[in-house]
Amino acid sequence: MLEINNLTARIGDTEILRGLTLSVKAGEVHAIMGPNGSGKSTLAQVIAGHHDYVVTGGTVTFNGKTLFDLEPEERAREGIFLGFQYPVEIPGVNNAYLLKAAVNARRKHQGLGEIDAFEFLKLAREKMALLGMDTKFLNRGVNEGFSGGEKKRNEILQMAMLEPKLAILDETDSGLDIDALKAVAEGVNSLRTPDRAIVLVTHYQRLLDYISPDFVHVLSEGRIIRSGDRTLALELEEKGYDWLREAANA
Amino acid sequence: MKPSMLSVEGLKTAVSRLPDDALSATRAVALANLDEHGLPTVRHEDWKYTDLRPAIDISNRWLADGALGPTAGDISATIASATRSIDADWLVIANGTIDMSYFNSSRGIEVERFSESAAPFVMDRPLADLNAALLQDGLRVRVHAATEKPLGLLIIDNAHSGAAVSQANVEIMVAPGCDVEIIEYQTSSGRGDHYANSVVTMDIGEAARTGYVRIQERRIGHVQTGRLSVTVGKDARFAMASYDLGGGLVRNDVDIDLGATGADLVCNGLYLAGDGQHIDNHIRIDHRVGPATSSQEFRGILNGRCRCVWNGKAIVHKGADGTDAKQANHNLLLSEHAEINAKPELEIYADDVKCSHGTTVGQLDEAALFYLRSRGLGKHEAIQVLTRAFAADLVGRAPVNAAKTLIAARVDARLAELTLEPTS
Repeated sequence: MLEINNLTARIGDTEILRGLTLSVKAGEVHAIMGPNGSGKSTLAQVIAGHHDYVVTGGTVTFNGKTLFDLEPEERAREGIFLGFQYPVEIPGVNNAYLLKAAVNARRKHQGLGEIDAFEFLKLAREKMALLGMDTKFLNRGVNEGFSGGEKKRNEILQMAMLEPKLAILDETDSGLDIDALKAVAEGVNSLRTPDRAIVLVTHYQRLLDYISPDFVHVLSEGRIIRSGDRTLALELEEKGYDWLREAANA
Repeated sequence: MKPSMLSVEGLKTAVSRLPDDALSATRAVALANLDEHGLPTVRHEDWKYTDLRPAIDISNRWLADGALGPTAGDISATIASATRSIDADWLVIANGTIDMSYFNSSRGIEVERFSESAAPFVMDRPLADLNAALLQDGLRVRVHAATEKPLGLLIIDNAHSGAAVSQANVEIMVAPGCDVEIIEYQTSSGRGDHYANSVVTMDIGEAARTGYVRIQERRIGHVQTGRLSVTVGKDARFAMASYDLGGGLVRNDVDIDLGATGADLVCNGLYLAGDGQHIDNHIRIDHRVGPATSSQEFRGILNGRCRCVWNGKAIVHKGADGTDAKQANHNLLLSEHAEINAKPELEIYADDVKCSHGTTVGQLDEAALFYLRSRGLGKHEAIQVLTRAFAADLVGRAPVNAAKTLIAARVDARLAELTLEPTS
């Protein structure tokens, strides 16, 4: 589904990704771990199409399409979803409006008509119940005045409504208390299907207690220095990142 | 040499052709004022950013052509559609001529023409003088009981070809204790050059409440100058909001006099400007006694090559203790060629007052733009959504309920156009 080959990217004059290669197939859950500054968020932003990041080499294809030929909105309509580490507050834009506009943009791309208002509300209520969100959040400004946990739940709500083919969740666990973490994990797990891939970008392995990944990758200085199964995450929890970096540099 | 180049000879000829009626004396006074002072130029502090030469050029060409009404073009269809757009009782001034055929209700409202009663008060302000000199006729409206529908004031012009000038003058008196909603809707069409000059004078009686909405949707390229002078009585509330969506050169002067205790004023405005537009809002609020409150909030969205001006002045006179005056002006500039001249002004001569002002000028939030695009919204749609959000609050707070739907639709339509223009 997602094929990343020898990807290099920079922001400003700083080279952040330095030859990253990764293959993600439908039905898989990958966790990308690594210390601060290793390039985890950059990878997420580059895949979503943020203009501040300049791709300097390598290729990324999504279901055979070259990703860099597509604008951010085209990537979203193709089925890529980025759950933001810091979801943006947009006062004056109604949360329900955004959800509906996003769903309809995707549907239009698929040649479907706009979602029926009743159907939309029913679906939104259902997903919100699953995430333990009050429906009053539908009528608030997008993330406006939301707590950290509410913002993250709102990201997962958007994901659940959009039903992407590939979801990249950037530090979705950061700043969450245990209840919020469980709710978010439940939301993510409910979307685990054989035709969907999920990439979890995370600093700590805590999230992986609730969402069990098929693969764990360790990112350091813009490259994947170790891949393994979920036991790698437990090993990292115990030993930290330094032993891997030392091994990689040796 | 006179400071203005307005043809006074042409003006005299035009005035001499108007009927001899109750307005004749004020026309003569206004003409003499104009002869003496002319129209302001950019050398005047209040006109530093707004050059009236386009208005003067159109006026002189019109005067040279014999100061006739529009050469052709029936605008009854346009009037019918404008009056249908909001459910109100409409007083229509079309090409400077009063048309009472869209006014149905008489309950609670009395209307008479200046020519049948008395001339308007001469303000001795240049544009008001021009208005008084060339005025065919004006309307005096008395609201003495709550009305079923809002009162509409449609000032509509059509410039078929060449150059045309029109004047509108309306006085509105709201009786003590009355609740009334008023819509001033200014619009124009036609490929000719047009200059519209209006004066609206209001007196809000004790404990009366008035909601006033002004929608300006003139053809881009047409010129409008308008003066709104309001006196707010004891414990009365006047809430207004203006929506400037069109026009080439537009200058709005709003003077509000808070001369009695307990007066409460809200004066808001939204201006949307694109290529070739110049929109100037000059507000002056006089707090003469206290306690009284005033709150101003103006917002602008600018794209392309355009210039907007906001000058929000509040004067707190000596002894006006207990005054609470707020001013805010926020601007979103989508193009580096767009210019805003924002000037909050507070002159305070009283001791016990609460005054604040704030002005911001910014660009679209790139992080928000990316966030929306990452959810599948196209770039243009995302820009529309963000600009609409910036305007939404002022649209939602329109003080005339019946006008909200129309305002929201017209603001959306204008933003859709405006955000299509190149943003660099």
